[in-house]
Amino acid sequence: MQGKIVVVGASAGGCRVALAAQAAGHDVTLVDEHPQAMKDMSFDAPWFYGAGLPSALLNDNSIAQAVLEGSPELIECLESGVDVRVSTVLWGAFRNGPNSVNVGRPRVGLVNRDGNEILEHDTLVIATGVRDFVPSFKGWELPGVFGGKAGIAMLDLYQVFEGRKAVVLGTSELALRFIRSALARGTEIVAVIEAGQEVYAGPEAAAWLAERGIPVHLRHVVHEALGKTEVSGAICVSLDGDATFAVDCDSIAVAIATLPNIELPAAMGCKMHYDPGLASWVPEVDARGETSLESVYWLRDDASSEALLASIKGETNADRFPPHAAQTQPTLDYIKTWISALHESGGDDVNICQCETVTRGEFCGIAPPSYLGQGLRHAQSPIVHSDAARAPRINQDFMKRMTRVSMGHCQGKRCRDEASIALALRFGVDPDAIRPASYRFPLRPIDLALIADDDESEDIRLHWQMWPYETRQD
Amino acid sequence: MLVLDAGATAYEASSRATGYLSLRGETPAESPLAQEAEKLWDGLDEELGYPTEWTQKGRIWAAFNERELDELKQLYGTFRKTNVPFEFLSGDDLREMMPCLSESCLGGIWTHRSGHANPQRTSQAFAWAFNDRGGEIREYTPVLEILTEGGKAKGVRTLQGELHSDKLALCAAAHNTLLLEPLGIHFPLAPVRLEALVTTPMPPLFEQAFIGNGLSIRQTKRGNLHMNGGPYEWVDLEIGKEAAKPNTQIVRNILRRAIETMPVLKGAQFLRSWAGIVDMAPDQMTTIHKFDSPEGLVTAACSGHGFGMAPAVGIAVSELLLKGETRMPIDQLSLDRFNKVSTDWRAKRRWEAGQYNT
Repeated sequence: MQGKIVVVGASAGGCRVALAAQAAGHDVTLVDEHPQAMKDMSFDAPWFYGAGLPSALLNDNSIAQAVLEGSPELIECLESGVDVRVSTVLWGAFRNGPNSVNVGRPRVGLVNRDGNEILEHDTLVIATGVRDFVPSFKGWELPGVFGGKAGIAMLDLYQVFEGRKAVVLGTSELALRFIRSALARGTEIVAVIEAGQEVYAGPEAAAWLAERGIPVHLRHVVHEALGKTEVSGAICVSLDGDATFAVDCDSIAVAIATLPNIELPAAMGCKMHYDPGLASWVPEVDARGETSLESVYWLRDDASSEALLASIKGETNADRFPPHAAQTQPTLDYIKTWISALHESGGDDVNICQCETVTRGEFCGIAPPSYLGQGLRHAQSPIVHSDAARAPRINQDFMKRMTRVSMGHCQGKRCRDEASIALALRFGVDPDAIRPASYRFPLRPIDLALIADDDESEDIRLHWQMWPYETRQD
Repeated sequence: MLVLDAGATAYEASSRATGYLSLRGETPAESPLAQEAEKLWDGLDEELGYPTEWTQKGRIWAAFNERELDELKQLYGTFRKTNVPFEFLSGDDLREMMPCLSESCLGGIWTHRSGHANPQRTSQAFAWAFNDRGGEIREYTPVLEILTEGGKAKGVRTLQGELHSDKLALCAAAHNTLLLEPLGIHFPLAPVRLEALVTTPMPPLFEQAFIGNGLSIRQTKRGNLHMNGGPYEWVDLEIGKEAAKPNTQIVRNILRRAIETMPVLKGAQFLRSWAGIVDMAPDQMTTIHKFDSPEGLVTAACSGHGFGMAPAVGIAVSELLLKGETRMPIDQLSLDRFNKVSTDWRAKRRWEAGQYNT
């Protein structure tokens, strides 16, 4: 690892890397988008806050304080002289490579509430953690529906959670963490809904839930979130025989799974492979976490920073850190169970894309967006026509461009994973045979006024191509 | 009829294109063909059976400083060599039809004709219509070599083997140059990387195809502002390999220019950026050429404005291939006009891979 280092993501792992690099004499900048402005939270990235953001989040000072107090590692970074940038989005990363050889030194684009900056560096460490996976169901747009990570953040980090009666979807470790935090704050868990046959987090977790008298409904999914302006209840349906029951609640915590934040390495062009354990495409990395791009590291999770830390400290035997063990229960299978159950019981007439208001049926049928007022003359299939071995079976970008699912202001963060699995299930295609929708810069939507350059050099201005003189003839 | 694509349908230039039909006032030799394309565009949705988002609301070339205004006035002389009704309007006239336009716009060229469409949707509409008529598109099947025998087209070689046909249409943008070179044919095209972006949707602002301040900006049917522009980065392509299309921090400059052009865009958000590869001929015009040798081979490339021209170019290429002649006006667009272009023309133009800002 060399030179100026940018670490993005102030998780425990990211902070530890920043501290070690600082101690080893590097100039280190640590970037984290939290605490986010309320407007940015509404994009549900990385955590799915949903539409019901408590107004207490508007108190920037107390929120910033809560974030700092919640992370001793971050305070240590500040005290150690690491250049810490919180509430700052790393929106793009640019470096020389094929067909772009004029960037110069690698650089990242940073933006916060005051403006933007291009920061040159030598090494980039991506420790961007995970985001909520929240699949669609009828009423999932209502305030009161949120993801597990967002729920835990509102409960423990920001301490602004207002829910009194919560329904929890999923029985993963994430669900259990949410339930523990919610109970500690006096929120009642009125039902835990599980699409699978058993509690996903295992028998101990099942026993723990039983001891507390929390009703767990196996082989059930939520059919509909009730409420006009916010969640007032939920209708749940059995997957064996269609029996339904209703519960009163003000919150629906969707705590099925989290997925890694891969938009930065993907948009940078790091070589990726599909990992069913994580139900996601992830960068290919070596033992220290270096991606296919030189001096760009990706930390899968806090634990996987050990080899990189050792190498920063000058230890050379990175091989002693075993490669990441495959998860015994692939997240992909669990997610598939949920999506399959939700789609079968909820049907086609549920919006899969909130931003563009497109239903599951419209998406899988490649329907043009309704504002065009035109259909397809003949039904069409998304299956790629090719006999090439390397060809994907489906291009998610094609589905995106035709239906606009994942083209909206959340940049596909809400729906792209469900959309991809839905295609896999409906068309009988393996998820890794679907070319994933491209990730693009900026990694978050940014106000034009904040990002627009105000230092266009004379050189750029002089050589800017002016149509219709498409190219200067000199 | 079999169409081979190196990648997926509508993935390369279609994904970069702004989506304009230009009537080619700046290169009058192409204008008759562009006007044939315009007639076809008007019936395209119905003919194909799939939406293209064709919007026939005119086109504006605007000047934002005195130098640009002088250049545009000079260029207007060239525009008037066509039979397209172009007019030179004041800044106030332009603002009247496009109220979001900045006060700094001094005037420009206007025509009520021409328009824009959604490139990806349109290319896919052609592909689906082709399938509906029994055509086959084979994707991810790059052509590695053009095969000829005894002065006649014989077929192509792909990774899956040879495919034989005595009629070949080569429409592979700047790959044309690479695939024709082994036949001793020089098709001078230079590939160049360009960047594009969209904002979040805005309320309806304008429907014209707008060009000015170094940007092409259109508002999509959905409301997003779609724009591209900026310095060109010249690149090289490889046969059988998908070209990398990275973005750079230049997107910030594009956005600043967008705000300068339409101040209301300050209220929009930067949503998505991408880049694409365009093929540029020395005179930046369309080429459509039927070879006498090898017989049965036709090639075409359109210097970055092929999207709008495509309906007419498609007819010209298919007629040349099947009938040996075409009703489309392409007399001045053959490859013969480059007979005197030397093989090192890119170096002389400073259009070689790696060069920037030229």
